[in-house]
Amino acid sequence: MAGIYIHIPFCKQACSYCDFYFITSLEYREQFVTRLLKEIRSYRGSKFTDEPVETIYLGGGTPSVLSADQLHQILEEVRDTFDVRVKEVTMEMNPDNVSAEYLNALLEIGVDRASMGVQSFDPDLLEFMHRAHDRDEALECLRLLSETGFPTYSVDLIYGNPGQSTDCLKQDLDELLAFDPPHVSAYSLTIETDTRLGKQYELGRLDPLPDEKVARHFEMVVDRLAEQGIQQYEVSNYSKPGQQAVHNAGYWSHKPYIGLGPSAHSFWWKKGKDAPVRWYTKQDIKTYLSGDRRQLIEETEQLTRRQLADERIMMGLRTRKGIAVDELSSRYGYDLNQRQQSYLDQKKQEGIVKRLDPIQLTFEGLKIADALILDLVSMQ
Amino acid sequence: MKEIRNFCIIAHIDHGKSTLADRLLERTGSISEREFHDQMLDDMDLEQERGITIKSHAIKMIYERPSGDEVIFNLIDTPGHVDFSYEVSRALKACEGALLVVDAAQGVEAQTISNLYQALEQDLEIIPVLNKIDLPGADVEGVAQQLIDLIGCDFEDILQVSGKTGEGVEHMMEEVVKRVPAPGRDADKPLRALIFDSKFNTYRGSVVYVRVMEGTLEKGQGILFMQTGKKYEADELGYLQMKQVPTESLEAGEVGYVIGGVKSLEDARVGDTITSVDNPAEKPIPGYKEVKPMVFSGLYPTDTDEFDELRTALERLQLNDASLTYQPETSKALGFGFRAGFLGLLHMEIIQERLDREFDIDIITTVPNVEYEVVMKEPGKEREKLVVDNPSEMPEVGLIEEVYEPFIKATILTPAEYIGPIMELCENRRGEFVTQLHMQSNRVEIQYELPLAEVVFDFYDQLKSGSRGFATFDYDFIEYRASDLVRLDILLNEEPVDALSSIVHRDKAYALGRKLCKKLKDLIPQHQFQVPIQAAIGKDVIARETKKALRKDVTAKCYGGDVSRKRKLLEKQKEGKKRMKQVGTVDIPQEAFLAVLSMDDDD
Repeated sequence: MAGIYIHIPFCKQACSYCDFYFITSLEYREQFVTRLLKEIRSYRGSKFTDEPVETIYLGGGTPSVLSADQLHQILEEVRDTFDVRVKEVTMEMNPDNVSAEYLNALLEIGVDRASMGVQSFDPDLLEFMHRAHDRDEALECLRLLSETGFPTYSVDLIYGNPGQSTDCLKQDLDELLAFDPPHVSAYSLTIETDTRLGKQYELGRLDPLPDEKVARHFEMVVDRLAEQGIQQYEVSNYSKPGQQAVHNAGYWSHKPYIGLGPSAHSFWWKKGKDAPVRWYTKQDIKTYLSGDRRQLIEETEQLTRRQLADERIMMGLRTRKGIAVDELSSRYGYDLNQRQQSYLDQKKQEGIVKRLDPIQLTFEGLKIADALILDLVSMQ
Repeated sequence: MKEIRNFCIIAHIDHGKSTLADRLLERTGSISEREFHDQMLDDMDLEQERGITIKSHAIKMIYERPSGDEVIFNLIDTPGHVDFSYEVSRALKACEGALLVVDAAQGVEAQTISNLYQALEQDLEIIPVLNKIDLPGADVEGVAQQLIDLIGCDFEDILQVSGKTGEGVEHMMEEVVKRVPAPGRDADKPLRALIFDSKFNTYRGSVVYVRVMEGTLEKGQGILFMQTGKKYEADELGYLQMKQVPTESLEAGEVGYVIGGVKSLEDARVGDTITSVDNPAEKPIPGYKEVKPMVFSGLYPTDTDEFDELRTALERLQLNDASLTYQPETSKALGFGFRAGFLGLLHMEIIQERLDREFDIDIITTVPNVEYEVVMKEPGKEREKLVVDNPSEMPEVGLIEEVYEPFIKATILTPAEYIGPIMELCENRRGEFVTQLHMQSNRVEIQYELPLAEVVFDFYDQLKSGSRGFATFDYDFIEYRASDLVRLDILLNEEPVDALSSIVHRDKAYALGRKLCKKLKDLIPQHQFQVPIQAAIGKDVIARETKKALRKDVTAKCYGGDVSRKRKLLEKQKEGKKRMKQVGTVDIPQEAFLAVLSMDDDD
């Protein structure tokens, strides 16, 4: 089972926190689609088409700056090239691009899950994030999603913003929950170096929210969503029963995926067949449009078992499912040593680890998962 | 017999000493233009990068005068830092003249002056040279005036050269012949040869660099090292050219090397006098000093598995550097390592860097300290004197009758306008004012008596920054004096960290304790639990900080495009964690062990 990720690198404007690859000029859209279709076609007959594709994810950038017709061509090309037996076709979209007509057209071409970049309903925060939409559009897009009967959808939210009060967060959560969304991705704001916020932070013009307050926000998000039956199943992902994201969960368990478009990552690992490898393309539209495959690859990593095991622990411990000791051993040849076992034992007593097999963290543990993961993997 | 001129070059770092030396080698045909990588005389990487000649070298060149006569030049290189001032004095002693080289764009700088004064003290003929006159920013008139003020010469006496283009170099060589006095050539007196440097050769033992002052050194002769009393046979003699060139004898006035199965550098000490066993000189050449380590620090391998590698590396370094001493020690925080003794802070830094570069060993160094003498309270018994060179070995306060620490006399030369900040610095470092002397050209010589311990903590840097780089500083050990000293301990999560203990004056302990705790709070990573950081004298906690527990530490986003980056970060953090040391359950990063060093006086 494999997934396909397609990166659409266009955005109307630059969000202040975003470090994905994007360009704000929309003029290359036509050329990009033509090039993308060629890239998809280039996989024809390759070993990558033997594996059934269950999930397709259109991410960005902003996929919703493309017309339904352009998206249709892309999805058709994927279906013609790969062995598509699709369970989930997700598309990221922004509130300001959405109309009933557009959503209906997307449904028609096979998109069955929307990931809506709302981030906040608060006008000040939306401005701080430099989002292209306003409060009204944020509310309107959610109304449209219910109205058009989109099979399922997810809403993105960002908390832990500088100066954001718990009241402000509560307000955001209340407004969101009024729509009773099936899935929420709530992220604590990360100030990345190559973003507008990163620059401001460097210049000392930005006061990040202190960790204690971010922790309180985090708790509030988890509690408030849970009250409405939306359970946390990964650090930043929450869903109603049966509504978990299939494509994203594939990343966390090392399912193979093919990335298409500039800056997209691909990962291929077929047990007993191919050595595990990850490659990704340059963050550069010009190189992408030139169509030179060799120029386009930024890096190819041959991954060792050890690296994969570290990755699996790193991603698995972030999920509610956790990671089975047996899976580590059979799939990665990684056996927990004495030190790791007694460390986990002790953390269980401290209320940070919930279960020892599969290894699962409590919410207290999730809050400091990076430190725990580092401790754990450093012991072997 | 060819005439001889023995001379050295005195210059501030970056004022072009090495380039000029290269030019001399080239013009005298000692070496072809392309034969060398840029700067021949500094052959260690480290020296090239720092622009400091760490160990003196010497080279013999044949200069052909326009008249066709040939003159032998022995260029003796001098190290340029206060830690090596004794070595400098011995190198100067081997010369009759010195080229005082000043960058025509930068002007006279402080570092030259200390060596200049030493050279004057040795009665050397000083030839002032303006270098880099080809630079667009060269201020020949202005800088010449500075030189005139400094040494009282005439404008006409000052040579103008460019090491880069070679302009003026021929003239300079002529001037060396004309102005530098010829050495005494009395070959019949009893032998006295000055050791000004030595190098260790694995197969042949020490190669001893000498200047024959009187008499003749002959191959096969029985030789006596007058200070150590050791006797050897001069198996091989020779001149120091691009290679060692063996010869049958070295006569008064000549510079060369001796190999005589001298097992270690310990036995071939800089400043010692070589004489003949059969016809010994009455007295050695004056000025010999035994070089003793003044600064001590713990050296620990970052990776505890590298202890043996570290031992081997230190053994090898010591072969070429007799002033380095070391002995094994153990620390609860850092494991197995060594306590090493150095001439000074720069010497320490150089050793650290050489361990890193030449042996590829990552080490943690503890805060440097001096050697203390401790008299214990032992009623009824005869008082015992303990020598302590590791703060964690300092006994409990209650058991101590008195602690003595080494004092030095510091001589500081500075332009008059910086007297204020310099005196303030010395007072802050528990200095006692001795004298102040106004000299020509607005210069002042200030003398202070200071505890050496106060000097090893970034005194030199502070002095430089307080005088915009102009003050120069030299010191001599005077004596041990009683001081009110205490051991300041640091406790992390209630556990003492031995490698963080320091010995300080009681009056300064409180302020230092507070600053250390604060600094450590910044340096120690957040843990899953809260970490109390305490400074204590004996059982009294005198300062406290708390490193809060981690409240939130989890990456928000982890999707297909994040995995690689996140794993690479994790791998880097794993490495970083390995490099940290554990005391109890607390991880301590390496920088923490040098926290004291990086603290400003006034923050």
